[in-house]
Amino acid sequence: MIGSNGEGKSNLLEAVELLGSLRSHRCSSDRDLIQQGQATALVRGLCGGGPGGRGEAGVGAGASQGDALELELRRQGGRQARRNGKLLERQLDLVGPLRCVGFSALDLELVRGEPALRRQWLDRVVLQLEPVYAELLSRYGRLLRQRAQLLRRGLGGAHLADLLDAFDQQMALIGTRLHRRRRRALLRLEPLAAAWQRHLSGGNEQLLLHYQPGTVLEGEEAEAPWREALAWQLRQQRDSELRLGQCGVGPHRDEIQLQLGGQPARRYGSAGQQRSLVLALKLAELELIRQLWGEPPLLLLDDVLAELDPTRQQLLLEAVGQGEGYQCLVSATHLGSFSDDWSKTSQVIRVEKGLIGA
Amino acid sequence: MTCEIPLSGFTRPLARLIDQFERLPGIGPRTAQRLALHLLRQPEEQIHSFADALLAARSQVGQCQSCFHLSAEPLCEICRNQERHTGILCVVADSRDLLALERTREYKGQYHVLGGLISPMDGVGPELLHIQPLVNRVDRDQISEVILALTPSVEGDTTSLYLARLLKPFTQVSRIAYGLPVGSELEYADEVTLARALEGRRPME
Repeated sequence: MIGSNGEGKSNLLEAVELLGSLRSHRCSSDRDLIQQGQATALVRGLCGGGPGGRGEAGVGAGASQGDALELELRRQGGRQARRNGKLLERQLDLVGPLRCVGFSALDLELVRGEPALRRQWLDRVVLQLEPVYAELLSRYGRLLRQRAQLLRRGLGGAHLADLLDAFDQQMALIGTRLHRRRRRALLRLEPLAAAWQRHLSGGNEQLLLHYQPGTVLEGEEAEAPWREALAWQLRQQRDSELRLGQCGVGPHRDEIQLQLGGQPARRYGSAGQQRSLVLALKLAELELIRQLWGEPPLLLLDDVLAELDPTRQQLLLEAVGQGEGYQCLVSATHLGSFSDDWSKTSQVIRVEKGLIGA
Repeated sequence: MTCEIPLSGFTRPLARLIDQFERLPGIGPRTAQRLALHLLRQPEEQIHSFADALLAARSQVGQCQSCFHLSAEPLCEICRNQERHTGILCVVADSRDLLALERTREYKGQYHVLGGLISPMDGVGPELLHIQPLVNRVDRDQISEVILALTPSVEGDTTSLYLARLLKPFTQVSRIAYGLPVGSELEYADEVTLARALEGRRPME
């Protein structure tokens, strides 16, 4: 998709992402997704069949033939999801035919940026693996917010310790589950990411995804001992929490250290190495989803390809072209920055003033 | 809280009435209009008794001194009922939950209405709820079991855990079970409900 800035390329990719994952990487509120002055927004997409059976009009990697997906966002009254015209009871049931992995310029910060970015990336992967994770995440977030407000507003009174105990107990349980699921997902991702990193670096860079939980956790990941460890550490940090107003242990303090050759890539990696690393992480995510669901997901590359040098573009092209191949939607301002191979094998669409041209 | 449909087409007293209806929970502009127009068609005595009922309810209904359920008397009907067990107490967040439990006709003990759930984000700490009276009651009335029947949200669970800590020195504390709704198909249950049901599994008797 070629078009100048502000013509609607990212908007289109965002619509696909929304239909595939029910969320947008850009904003968290539906209000920001609906055009100003309008009451509703409608995203409608037609997914072709699986590999080999892709229709001309469709995109995506769905298993069934020609699924029509529809998501309606409303300023009041929430969302409505339809599949082949049928209203779905839960919007979650829309997920499946159109699995996708997004890759935008924001992701280039994954290696260099704050730990929160790496946690969000990992959380997106875990959500694909285990749907219940969404509930755990939102519960934990709410616990953290309620706990912070409890201290800020001084609501505990004489029973503050008992109240904090009630929070500790829940956070120890849910926090342990987040720790375990994140660690498990990383163990599945690591070999895939390491293989891509070797490939991208010509075989000589060893990548490690080192999980540094925000709780000191020893030994194997059985739930009970980890939960006790977290509960104990929550108690230990209470004095400093009362002083600082910030809870000091738990999954919200997790870090995923990316190591190249035993050194943290965040500090010691060259700019080129860091870009390869982000690419390796994304490709690992792509492959994990393909393994899980037996279908290659759709890859959304928003304005990011032009930021990669020709060598890495070429490697990405080869990677997504392997096997049955991944379908990619790529946005850019002009064709010039693409290697010839990319341009030749792609269908070029022009986007202008929110419309798709020839 | 203003009406989305312009009230300009209505004469002033009618617009006022519609506006009042619209302030009620669950009532949108259209329903508000329908209710107001319906009332206008009623005989005047009917309207008087409606207005009387509103005022009487507001002025007479207070809280039961013992359990804090809505009541016009100092003690509510449930607390006065001699046939109910006095040793068991079921703790609920508000009167609506109590009524839901009463509809089952299965529970014969007493209740205690908290008046909300602990939620620091909304400025609700334990002192704003009827927690101290609950502790006093359990201690005084020799309650043998307290059943916590609160929603399984973060706020509900926090309140349950907090109460359990306070009450355990005095009595046995239990919590209602979470699981699959009766009559529903397993395959249609959502993941969160299923996961909770798995977690709360029980040995077969």
